[in-house]
Amino acid sequence: MRLKIILMLLLLLGVVTMSCSKDQQQQSSQKRLTLVAISGVEGDALKAAALDYKAQTGIEIEITQFPYANLFEKEMIDLNARTGAYDLIMLDDPWFPTFASKQFLTELTPLLHKRGQNGPDNDFVDTSIALCRHPYQTGSLYALPYVGNSQLFFYRKDLFEKHNLKPPATWDDVLAAAKTIQEKESDSGMYGYVMRAAQGNAAVADFMPIFWAFGGEMFDASGKPTVNSPEGIAALEFMVQMGKYSPPGYPSFNAQEVGAHLLQGTAAMAINWPVWITQFDDPSKSKVIGKIEFTTLPSGRKQGQAEIGNWLIAIPRASQNAEAAMDFLVWATTAEQMKRSALRGNPPTRKSLFRDPELVAKFPAYPAQMRSLKTSRPRPRTPQWNEIENVFGIFLSKANSGVLSPVEAMNQANAEIEKIVQRGQ
Amino acid sequence: MGRRVLLRSSWLPYLLIAPALAVLLALSIYPLIYSITVSLQVGEAWGFGNFTRLASDNFFLTAMAHTFVYAAAALTCEFLLGLGLALLLNGQIRGRGLFRATLLVPMMLPPVVAAVVWRLMLNPNFGAVNGTLKQIGIDTESLTWTASPGLAMLSVIAVDVWQWTPFVFLVLLAGLQAIPQEPYEAALIDGSNRWQTFRHVTLPLLKPAILIVLLLRTMDLLRVFDQIFILTEGGPGFATETISLYIYRTAFRFFDFGYAAAMSFVLLALTNVISVVYIRFLKHETRIS
Repeated sequence: MRLKIILMLLLLLGVVTMSCSKDQQQQSSQKRLTLVAISGVEGDALKAAALDYKAQTGIEIEITQFPYANLFEKEMIDLNARTGAYDLIMLDDPWFPTFASKQFLTELTPLLHKRGQNGPDNDFVDTSIALCRHPYQTGSLYALPYVGNSQLFFYRKDLFEKHNLKPPATWDDVLAAAKTIQEKESDSGMYGYVMRAAQGNAAVADFMPIFWAFGGEMFDASGKPTVNSPEGIAALEFMVQMGKYSPPGYPSFNAQEVGAHLLQGTAAMAINWPVWITQFDDPSKSKVIGKIEFTTLPSGRKQGQAEIGNWLIAIPRASQNAEAAMDFLVWATTAEQMKRSALRGNPPTRKSLFRDPELVAKFPAYPAQMRSLKTSRPRPRTPQWNEIENVFGIFLSKANSGVLSPVEAMNQANAEIEKIVQRGQ
Repeated sequence: MGRRVLLRSSWLPYLLIAPALAVLLALSIYPLIYSITVSLQVGEAWGFGNFTRLASDNFFLTAMAHTFVYAAAALTCEFLLGLGLALLLNGQIRGRGLFRATLLVPMMLPPVVAAVVWRLMLNPNFGAVNGTLKQIGIDTESLTWTASPGLAMLSVIAVDVWQWTPFVFLVLLAGLQAIPQEPYEAALIDGSNRWQTFRHVTLPLLKPAILIVLLLRTMDLLRVFDQIFILTEGGPGFATETISLYIYRTAFRFFDFGYAAAMSFVLLALTNVISVVYIRFLKHETRIS
């Protein structure tokens, strides 16, 4: 009997302490926001901004960071369960259609109205703000763009000058230059080009600019996949041909390996993201200081277009602190604050900052980045993009590793993508 | 008085088991039942749609085939190597203690760490493996290991063999040491040669240890995830995608929990069948023939 009483008391004590701690949490949450971000330079800048924000306003922002491989699943699980654990989330733009179409995010326009604004100001780059609307470009606003990444074409200026090559404006130029450089520099172990064709995101990211320049389209107007069009097949044939000038093993490369080859001075050209630019001037990492030039993506039958890859910030619909979160979001994306983020290494999403003299002096690639971003293209805006990209990447990787011919790869990719699209309907 | 003792002894065990049972219910049984219901839902509708979809999913079937190739090859190598090493180090050889300790090192490393190290060593351009081969004059141009569709599966198998042979060795060695001397003396008196002794004395008496180690390794191999995820992420193309990776992708990348749950149950069922077969096959009463 005594034991029973003790157990009951213990249980009671537990319940009381639990409810107490809940009360405390609720009280403190008014002065506190939670944010989930990517680890690495993009999230670190936001973390630094959060400290500045606390110093200015007294509002504490608790930041949790995850590496890219885990961030999507952490956010998705939280959004799906509608826990409201996060007041702000940092997301990669291809995830946006999934989150927005599932009604996971807070519409921002009403919150802007409350602040006396009609909508996002015109200083945001058009292609960046278009990503934050669902449907794309025309729909309601569910996020604001924070980091303005878009792909750039990197090439070794010194080698191009040495061998009298003109800057690569078309993919034919790229192929010719890769061939010349690899033949003439073979003694130094130089490869003409380096690309990444690991299945998934990597292969697709390096393929899309070629695919678009060759006139390929992933879907027709009715939403049917068309990757195996003659243009698409020609683009993949071209990619495989470029593979001859890429270091062995490239069908398993990711951005890291591409960056490493450029830094080590063992490859002459590549597509990559702007986050690598500052590393080329870091003597502890780079053997090619001052030798790399940045430009927009080469053209084919069509004008060259980069893939856009912006980091956005949104407010989950389940957040209990949407207005306070909006205050921070607007503050963090002002020109003044975004400039600080830019100085910490993140490309901005505002036109005025790409022209800012201080920033341009520090980041000479800004004019090229702005041109690339303005003409960039998003990955297809579908909630099923993760699944489609995965399948497409598998077949691109198979073609590059020689398991399938480009025609077979594109036909099979098309059939599998069609299955996914049909399942979603 | 006697009744009170009886009463107490009848509820006390249940009370003591209750917390563990509650934890098990909350953390294992409930999720298990919940995942069954998830696997039977496609969107809002109930049915076997997720299970029928499996049959026409090329990726699922290929991933399953990869899983079995991987498990069979790795298990065979690990068992033969482990058994050989255990027999070798069971005898009286010089430096036995040192060998035994050294052999256990791979097993001590967390699989993730081992995989990262191997990924670096197998890098075709900067890696230690190709670097060493080049030094001794072997052409490494086509040896791209994890990046080549032909060698990638071999590479991930080799890494598993490297890491888990010590475990097989350890269990079998313990099994060998537990065998008493008498049967060997009897065999010696009967004039049996080394092979006969091994075949009719050692192997039958080692059966329980063999059963345990094969069972544990098979279950581990069928649900392999971390090493392959780090070494190849299932690539190049789809060359090393095993069922666990495909399940993970389906659940956490495509957020199709129903389909992922359905695949998990198929894997669970197959693992169970294999386990039962093992136990049937090896669990004849141990006797010296």
